[in-house]
Formats: sequence, structure tokens, C-alpha cells
Amino acid sequence: MPNGFFTDTTICIGCKACEVACKQWNELPSDGFEFTGMSYDNTVELSGTTWRHVAFVEQVQMDAQGVDDRWSMMSDVCKHCTHAGCLEACPTGAIIRNEFGNVYIQPDVCNGCGYCVVSCPFGVVDVIGSLNAQNSYSLATLREDRREQHETAIQGHGGVAGKCTLCYDRQRAGFVPACAKACPTESIQFGDVEELKERARKRVTTLQERGVDASLYGVDSKSSVGDLNAFFLLTDRPEAYNLPVEPVLPSTRQPASYTSAAITALALVIAGLTIFRSHA
Amino acid sequence: MSETQLRPPPSEVTYFNRPLLKKPHWEWNVITYLFLGGIAGGSGVLAALAQRSGDAPLERSSRYLSLALAGACPALLISHLGRPERFLHMMRIVKLKSPMSLGVWGLVGFSGLAGLNAAAQLARDNVLPAWIARLAPRPITTGMQALFGAFLAGYTGVLLSATAIPLWGKGKYHIPAMSVASAISGACAINAMALCADGNGGPAQHKLEKLEACAALLELGILLHFRTYAGSTGKPMYEGSRGERLRTLTLKGGIAAPLLLNLPSLLGREKNRRPWMLRTLLAGALTLAGGYILRETLIEAGKASADDPAQAFVQPK
Repeated sequence: MPNGFFTDTTICIGCKACEVACKQWNELPSDGFEFTGMSYDNTVELSGTTWRHVAFVEQVQMDAQGVDDRWSMMSDVCKHCTHAGCLEACPTGAIIRNEFGNVYIQPDVCNGCGYCVVSCPFGVVDVIGSLNAQNSYSLATLREDRREQHETAIQGHGGVAGKCTLCYDRQRAGFVPACAKACPTESIQFGDVEELKERARKRVTTLQERGVDASLYGVDSKSSVGDLNAFFLLTDRPEAYNLPVEPVLPSTRQPASYTSAAITALALVIAGLTIFRSHA
Repeated sequence: MSETQLRPPPSEVTYFNRPLLKKPHWEWNVITYLFLGGIAGGSGVLAALAQRSGDAPLERSSRYLSLALAGACPALLISHLGRPERFLHMMRIVKLKSPMSLGVWGLVGFSGLAGLNAAAQLARDNVLPAWIARLAPRPITTGMQALFGAFLAGYTGVLLSATAIPLWGKGKYHIPAMSVASAISGACAINAMALCADGNGGPAQHKLEKLEACAALLELGILLHFRTYAGSTGKPMYEGSRGERLRTLTLKGGIAAPLLLNLPSLLGREKNRRPWMLRTLLAGALTLAGGYILRETLIEAGKASADDPAQAFVQPK
């Protein structure tokens, strides 16, 4: 059974230790320092160089009954789908399912075509732009010999696709991924996905008994992407956390598309044969 | 406490209205590839039709054009890669599930056949030694190039619709069909222009105009139907300045205007007269511009579609 993450949003305290640990371990360059002004979330989204992102769901509602605030945090990550759109789309074979059942991009094989970017129904993967002096800090400070040992570091100077590797290198050494290791509340749990699911189901039951509207996202899913190997316990609708209600595996549209193209081509070829019949 | 709400109730809000999906980082080079690759493929189909009907000038023009256009495609594709030197990594595998992988192999196959057929044509045109023509037994290599050409014209539409972008996913029937239709009409236009400029108009050109009219009318029908079918998902494509551009340059300029310009010829009024060159060149240029704008609109509207969180939460099947 694959290894994966169970991210329990009810005990996330929004400390962003996972974000920092991920950036540090994977030697990911900075994305600049921008103040969004919308919430405590200045990371904004997952990207080619941000593989954990803590969303701050801040909903302040005022009405005659008083103030009804809700403030929940959720550490988002690549879902390592059972049927992964990025993996299916990749034309170079750079994106593989590794021995831990995780979706992994081999940076030395990726050629930056960007087809995985539009094939992810969760908007996780992105192409890392060319690294310049400003954002290549981590690479510049990296010793040459260490850079070669480091399998997950972005190779060279960008131009390839990037996303969470589920700390492939750490798993191979028998370690827990950096984000799960750093999480102070065990909101991020790492392990065998089946075991994690059992734990998550118990947690949902406990929370529901306490009157919390908890549900699992990405478990027993009827979606075409299948169950998520990095799944979440949510207390709100998926949209509130910027997750699709029903993700669709893009390749499921291929039979219809190819058929439509073939019928059109056939119709025009028949028209052409009729028009070009004569020697006149 | 006032009755006014600072923010909408929690049941209606998304995550700060942030985009859920990542948009493609494809620019003019990919748009131009979609456009030229389609016309190259369409020319491959025309070469087979011309060979069958014995229209020698059209056979010549379509063979040369399909090779020249297919030759430009790898350069365009490589120029958009983050790592141009790694284009060869596309050749590591053949992946049936990935339209991008199949498309690269389709382009390789098409280019090879186009090269072989163009070399044979050069031999028949007495530029190359005559024995080269024997390397390409025409019914076989021409037929194969036409098959690869039809694939090249259509797979780009499949490539777009098999993604998570809502607009493209919604167009899983329409986008591949409009890609094929636009590729055929573009190929007819550019070959008519080449024949006309070469002083070889006449019957072949008349047939091209007819086939172009069929393809253009089909394209028009698909574009109009997609507008109603896509509903709110189609907004980035059909509304605002982008929609205006599509209507002016593709629907009116690229489809309606060439049809009107070619109408006298289509109605058979000019059968025995040499076609007016300026008219053909103008109609051809308008058709080609319309085809390019169609591809550009598809890509740019796809980016806008990815940026709209409302569309991405429930994705088209």
C-alpha cells in the first residue's frame, strides 16, 4: 500500500512550520516577499517552488445575532492521486509513480513542456521559471557535491515542473517527510495510506460525536482521480479551502475528443473526395 | 449590531476568490504551432486528394507546403520549452495516454513522410535525380501522409480538451472538431494562394474553394453551437474584447468574408475564366488570419478560464 499524508485541519494551528521545513529540506528558492493583505496567508498558493501551503480560511460574519467568526487553517499539498492527471499527461516519462506509491517528477528528465500543469485538476504542479540571482539563493549556497547527492533539489536553474515529492529522498533513508516531522500538532501525519484512513475515520466519528461537522476529502471518492494518497479532514465545504468539489481526471475526455476529431476529419475527407473526383 | 454583513455568508465564499487551477504558460510559439501544424496536416490530406484526382499543380504545392510548414513546427515547440536542449526527452517513450507524446510522434511521422514525398516531387520536377521518386510509391506514402496529416490536424484539439481547464474540457466534442475544420480550410486557403501566385489557378483552385467553403461552414457551425453549449463556461472565449476579436477576425473576417469573396466562383459563374488573383490572395489571407485568431483565442481564453475559481470547483465531465 502507498505511503501518504493525512492532514487533519481541525488541529492545524497555522504555524507554517511545514512550509518552512519543506522549503529548507528541498532547497526551494524563495517566491519573493509579498504582503497579500487578505489574511495571514502570504504564500497564497502551491507552486513549482512551494510544495506546502497553509491556507487561512478566515470568515467573519456579522449579523443581528452577533459575530460569527470562523478561522481555520489547512496545510495544502500535492494529493498524489491514485489516477494522476499529471502523470498520465507527461510526454517524457519524467513523472513516475515511485516505489512508495507517490507521484514523483524526475527533474533531470522533465523538459518543461508544461502539459502536466494544465492536467492537474487541483492546480498543484507548476513550471519553475528560470531562476535568477534574486530567487536562486538556495542553489547558490548549495555546495556542488551536495547538490548532486540531493535528488529532490531543483536541478540546474529552473525551467522544469515542480511539486511535492513526498520527500522521496527522506523516505528512501527511512525518514518521515520534512513537513510531517516539523508539524508540532500532528496535523500532518505520514504513513501507510490504509492505516491513515482508519485513523482518519475514527477521528471523524469522534469529532461528529462532539458536534463538529467533519468530513474526509479524498477518501472513498467516486471521482475519476480516485482516492487521494494525501487526503484531508475538513470542517467546511471543499470550495472554502480552494479544493474542487468533484475533481475530474482530464484523460477521461480523450475517447470523446478523438472520436469527434475522427468524425470531422472523415466528413471533410468524404467532401474532399466528392469535390476532387473529376479530372475536369 | 448592524444588519450589514462584512462578508458574504460562509456558505457562499470560496478561498478569497483565488484561482483554483494553474494556467498554461503557453505563448505565441505554441499558438503558432497549433496553427501551422494544423495547416501542414491539412496540406497532407490535400496532397492525397490532388494525387487521386490528378491535379498535378495542387499536388506539387501541397507537398512542398506540408514539408515547409511541418519543418517550422519543431523549432516552435522547442522554443517554448523551459529546457530546449531537453526536447529529445520527448523521444524517450511513446505514451498512448498522453496526447502530447502521441502528437510529437505524429509530427515526427508526418515530417518524415512529407520529406519523402517532397523529395519524390522534386525528382518529378527534375530538380533531384529521377530514381528518388521511386523511393516513395505514391499511393502508399501519400495515403500514409494523409493519415498522419489528419491526426496532426485533430490531435491538438484533443490535447486541449484532455486537460483540467474548464473551457477546454467543456469543448471535448467541439474543440477537436473545430481544429480539424480550421486546419482543412487553412490548408485550402494557403494552397489556393500558392497556385494562384504561381499562375496555376483554374480547376484545382475552384475545387479548393469548394472544399474550403465546406470546412469553413462546418467550423462556423461548431463555433456557434459551442457558444450555446458551453454556457457560462464559454464566457472567456465569447465575451468581452476577446469574444469581440473572435467574432470580427474569425467569424466575420476569417469565415464569412472569404465565403463572400469566393461566392461567384462557388456559384460556378467563373468556371471558364481565370480567377482574379487579388481576390484569392485576399480571401486566403483572411482565412489564415481567422485560423490564427481562433487558436490564440482558445489558448488565451483557456488561461482566463483557469483563473476563474467559480468554474473550476465543479469540473466538466
